Amino acid sequence: MSSLLHFLRSTVFTKIVMATSGLLIIGFLVGHLLGNLLMFAGPEKINGYALGLKNLGPLLWVVRIAMITAFGLHVWSSIELALRNRAARPIAYDTKKSLKSTLASRTMLVSGMAILFFVIYHLLHYTFGIIQPNTYYAGGYRMESTGEIVHHVYNMVVAGFQNPFIALSYMIALAFMSSHVSHAMSSAFQTLGITNPNISKFTSKLGPALAAIFLIGYLSIPIGVMIGVIKKAPPQEHVLE
Amino acid sequence: MKLSLKVWRQKNKEAEGQFKDYALSDISPDMSFLEMLDVLNEQLLAKGEDPVAFDHDCREGICGSCSMMINGKPHGPESMTTTCQLHMRKFKDGDNVVIEPWRASPFPVIRDLVVDRSAFDRIIQAGGFISVNTGNAQDGNTLPIPKPDADSAMDAAACIGCGACVAACKNASAMLFTAAKVSHLGYLPQGQPERQRRVLKMVEQMDGEGFGNCTNTNDCEAACPKGISVKNITRLNKDFLKATIFG
Ligand code: HEM
Ligand code: FES
Repeated sequence: MSSLLHFLRSTVFTKIVMATSGLLIIGFLVGHLLGNLLMFAGPEKINGYALGLKNLGPLLWVVRIAMITAFGLHVWSSIELALRNRAARPIAYDTKKSLKSTLASRTMLVSGMAILFFVIYHLLHYTFGIIQPNTYYAGGYRMESTGEIVHHVYNMVVAGFQNPFIALSYMIALAFMSSHVSHAMSSAFQTLGITNPNISKFTSKLGPALAAIFLIGYLSIPIGVMIGVIKKAPPQEHVLE
Repeated sequence: MKLSLKVWRQKNKEAEGQFKDYALSDISPDMSFLEMLDVLNEQLLAKGEDPVAFDHDCREGICGSCSMMINGKPHGPESMTTTCQLHMRKFKDGDNVVIEPWRASPFPVIRDLVVDRSAFDRIIQAGGFISVNTGNAQDGNTLPIPKPDADSAMDAAACIGCGACVAACKNASAMLFTAAKVSHLGYLPQGQPERQRRVLKMVEQMDGEGFGNCTNTNDCEAACPKGISVKNITRLNKDFLKATIFG
């Protein structure tokens, strides 16, 4: 019991909270990317996928609460540790060189705060429809398969990214997110004490690889809209515009 | 060689310090960095000024005293080298050299370039030992130790406690030091009985001293004059988790 208390009060524990919550968010990002890529498959597919998510009911809320908790813990631990770090070096060096650390690893707090800012903006935009209400409520979509009228996620996203300022803001946020992820993977494995040489052999490459996949994958959607590969769906007859 | 030095001067713990500039000439490239500072101090003494205080003892890279930040790098530009073993031929004629003490709140500056590194001693006291009964040492060969483990233990034991890891870390974290001290006993059979208690106690002390925490940037590994690997940090984290769950 006493060792458990030691554990909970230590910075090593706070780091473990940061690493596990971060990995959970990365897991979500993989799923989110696969879902989003359905934009390339047309309105029927992505709108049907969005409907499917909505119909998960309580399960959707389990995932949402898990994500909110992970995000909350991640931000809490980052603030907790950043404050300690600041206190540990009250007087800065006159001259300080970085040795083998990467820029991404030195700017985790900055990229993290940019992500936090973006996530709020992103939710206000595509989840709550507050940023661009005109595109959010731009009429429903009638499913070809069932005839059901559903939220037109496809057209909402296309209309969103046809605004170059919105598209640019997403691209900048993606750059910060990739930078964060590129250091996060190897860092999390080190924090979680994965010493198995067969695994640690490739953990240093895992972060940059995943960062590149996220960057290319997520970027492909706003770029697809901007170069016209993803176009607005034609209006349907039975839907009130 | 001619050099322009910018050196941190501070009378004592409480005093406010500031940088002072000194010009040196006739420095031999064969001198060590500390010998160059000796030359500076003799000139200062001749002028009736206070010499620059700096720590040193062995001058052969094993005691870990000669800590100072040289042009933004702990122990200067040469990797795997302590300040006492750094030669002036690594600098160019006319170079500007900035010399500062380690900067970390658990390492208060006592005077000029000298910091108090007792925080490291207290981390060792918290668990960096093995308890054995006194008496005759047993025959070495009665305790077989796999060669890779013995090697890893020796690598970790190469830590001289100089504090370069803390100095280089952007968070002033002492994880590499603590991890080396946890590992060099943890790899060996003699270290097993107290292994769990050791890691918990040493981490608790490390936190209590006010060091920052590790964000795995690995600058410490590059700064270490003995090349201690960050693998020891991963091992510490693993031992720590295990000690909590099973200890
Ligand atoms: C897309 C969302 C995010 C993901 C996938 C993510 C993932 C991660 C992971 C896996 C780590 C490594 C944990 C470790 O070092 O052991 C990490 C570290 C960190 N994160 Fe995040 N994070 C995200 C958002 C944020 C946010 C919103 C903040 C706070 C404002 C933040 C701040 C930090 C900081 C300061 C670190 C510590 C730096 C380090 O340990 O190297 N992150 N993140
Ligand atoms: S004086 Fe002993 S290591 Fe430099």
